[in-house]
Amino acid sequence: MNARIVMGISLSGWILLHVLVTLVAFVFVYVEFRPGEHIAIPSPDVSRAETPTPTSAPRPGPTADELRALGLNALPPVSMPADNPLTDEKAELGKLLFFDRRMSGNGLVSCASCHFPNVGWGDGNALSLGYPGTLHWRNSQTIINSAYQAKLFWGGERTSLEAQAKSAWTGNIAGNLDSIMAEEILRQIPEYVRRFNEVFGTDAPTFDDALRAVSAFEATINSRNVPFDRYIRGDESALSDSALRGAELFAGKAGCIECHGGPLFTDQSYHNVGVPGNPDFEHDVLRQITLRYQHRARGVPEEVYRNADRDLGLYYTTKQEEDKGKFRTPPLREVGQTGPYMHNGVFETLNEVVEFYNDGGGSDPNKDAVLRPLGLEPEEMADLVAFLESLTGDPIIVQSPELPEYGTLEQ
Amino acid sequence: MTAFAHRFVPLFAIALIVVAGVGFGVKLLSPDHDGDSGKAIVSGVEAAPRTQAPTTQEVLGRLLFHDGRLSGDGSTSCSSCHSLSDAFTDAKPLSDGYSRGSLYFRNTPTLINASKMPVYYWDGRFSQGDLATVVRDHIAEAHFMNLDGRLLIERMRQVPEYEQGFIEAFGSEVSYGKALNALVAYLETLESSEDNPYLSFRAGNDRELSDQAKRGLDLFEGKAGCVGCHSGELLSDGDFHALGVPDSDSIFAEPLRHATFRRFFRTLGVGDFITMRDDPGLSALTHDMGDRGKFRTPSLLEVGRTAPYMHSGAFATLSEVMEFYDQGGGESPNKDSALRPLGLTDAEKDDLVAFLQSLASPSSDEEAPNLPAYQPRTLGDN
Repeated sequence: MNARIVMGISLSGWILLHVLVTLVAFVFVYVEFRPGEHIAIPSPDVSRAETPTPTSAPRPGPTADELRALGLNALPPVSMPADNPLTDEKAELGKLLFFDRRMSGNGLVSCASCHFPNVGWGDGNALSLGYPGTLHWRNSQTIINSAYQAKLFWGGERTSLEAQAKSAWTGNIAGNLDSIMAEEILRQIPEYVRRFNEVFGTDAPTFDDALRAVSAFEATINSRNVPFDRYIRGDESALSDSALRGAELFAGKAGCIECHGGPLFTDQSYHNVGVPGNPDFEHDVLRQITLRYQHRARGVPEEVYRNADRDLGLYYTTKQEEDKGKFRTPPLREVGQTGPYMHNGVFETLNEVVEFYNDGGGSDPNKDAVLRPLGLEPEEMADLVAFLESLTGDPIIVQSPELPEYGTLEQ
Repeated sequence: MTAFAHRFVPLFAIALIVVAGVGFGVKLLSPDHDGDSGKAIVSGVEAAPRTQAPTTQEVLGRLLFHDGRLSGDGSTSCSSCHSLSDAFTDAKPLSDGYSRGSLYFRNTPTLINASKMPVYYWDGRFSQGDLATVVRDHIAEAHFMNLDGRLLIERMRQVPEYEQGFIEAFGSEVSYGKALNALVAYLETLESSEDNPYLSFRAGNDRELSDQAKRGLDLFEGKAGCVGCHSGELLSDGDFHALGVPDSDSIFAEPLRHATFRRFFRTLGVGDFITMRDDPGLSALTHDMGDRGKFRTPSLLEVGRTAPYMHSGAFATLSEVMEFYDQGGGESPNKDSALRPLGLTDAEKDDLVAFLQSLASPSSDEEAPNLPAYQPRTLGDN
């Protein structure tokens, strides 16, 4: 509520000041840039496609200062845990591990199998593939900016990159890797032994250090050249008029900022928005197996297991009825390259997501009270999408590195 | 409880009839055996055919035995290494282990008569009476099948024929323990056939052994002294001996195999698992250097069908094995004092091999069963 009041005060002045100018400008701009027209352009850098707006002309949305006042800001430098300071050598080692399929139970999958640089460091599927022989039950989330997050996974089950990596490498529907086997495999690769020694000072690679290294690498995969950040830093041409109108809606009429506030565009909390089920679970045998497995593995009461028909999110951690269907608010940074959306990937496009929220979200007894029909016009929804896309930076393309080869151990 | 019944009763009934009709290629000995551990081959082993149809547990266990879904990535079933077509071995010097994630470091033993052995694995790390734990070890271990038990349950529950099969076999729904017990029930059916020449001979059919094989039997019990360890009805004393069998170089030449080897001994608490360049055998369990290089005496029943031989698969043929023993075994600080050069003639070695060949049942033409498929369930009706 405080955020809303602050936002309201901040915006009301702006609205009074610019309402006439906006209306006039809208008429002119609308002729050249009909809202929604550019939304289909996949490039995140929408502003480049448009005629630069003269800096003297008033813009149809909040200024950089106003956005900052709302808490929407550029990201600070990434920070790492005290026991895992970031170094180039460590990140370089982590990069090798990230792409190394030998770091899986059957030697056939790596982190990059589900977090693929070319599809925004997710896997581009509604639901992640997971370990061979299984199919995962949740959407694969981007690695980009993951070091900034206080909670990881859709249920917020882990609170550090290192802990997340451990779950991903060893989880039965992810990497299915035995940690001792991992250490012996690493010991069998002389280049790894050398690099671990250089970075960690150990005689032989340890699994915990592998977690540190891969986390260090992930901490280097952060948003680059984001139009929103450029705007915040003073480049007024970085955001299109449509994106700026979207920013206003984001913070105002649409109320997105309620949960997607701050430089990460997330409150790092949990909400039930009533996301509809992914129909895959109705017929896909491997998804059904994973869904039931997850209920068993997370220790739900028998009755909950027997009736399991969806991902219960935060409930698995708290076992509180009101937490059923709550998921961690995902950051919106890079959202333009990380579709499909939601914990079960049920929405293909940002347009669908915005329409979902415009309808007041889905239907669920635990649905967050803040969700209500928004009454957005089609043009407004297009503006919101334009703003969301402006949160997306350049693609971060990292080529799969040449991996060090197995050797024999000196006796 | 959930609504199993309305779904798939008829299917499983048909499957039962089909499997029962085909029957098992490996038939059964009399179920009760006296554990004679004397230093002589026992007489009076009965090769009584079992005529009754397999039980519902055996039928279920046989399907599970062939089902790769009992491994983490679905690639590896029990039968991947214990193949019907190779007398329940993989016919390789060293076992492959799980998928592409490991390479095991010992030879795959046959499962025929395995349930009757007093200890399991080459190093005897599990003992009789707990075959279910041996099965569990195979399913769960990273180097064998690498499957989480909860995932096993949910996979079984996704197969209507399995859901029904567990109810028919055990009276209640799928559980991990029941899956292990079904597999044990099947493993207990894997016995030498009534057509096994040696067993038939022992049962009184004198003509079942050739004269050469009979000469070999005399050597086995006499000059060659094999019976010193290969005694009892299974032709094994169930004990551990160091023979100085050479270990496989490929353990240390193949990176993934060496990694698998190290992980295994590290988890057993073997201190020199990094520098070790031999298979420590029993000493990995006892941590007694006097047991280094000792391995379980294998049963010789079916030996003609289970090449290569020894814990390391070092010998490709029985003739090579005979040569090895004729020379008094290999090099080991703990080598059994019973081993000494035997001074066998070539003809005597051939006789021994002929006898050993007579221990093999006729090979089976049994084929792997068709496995029931996953089927979608009604979401939320678990």
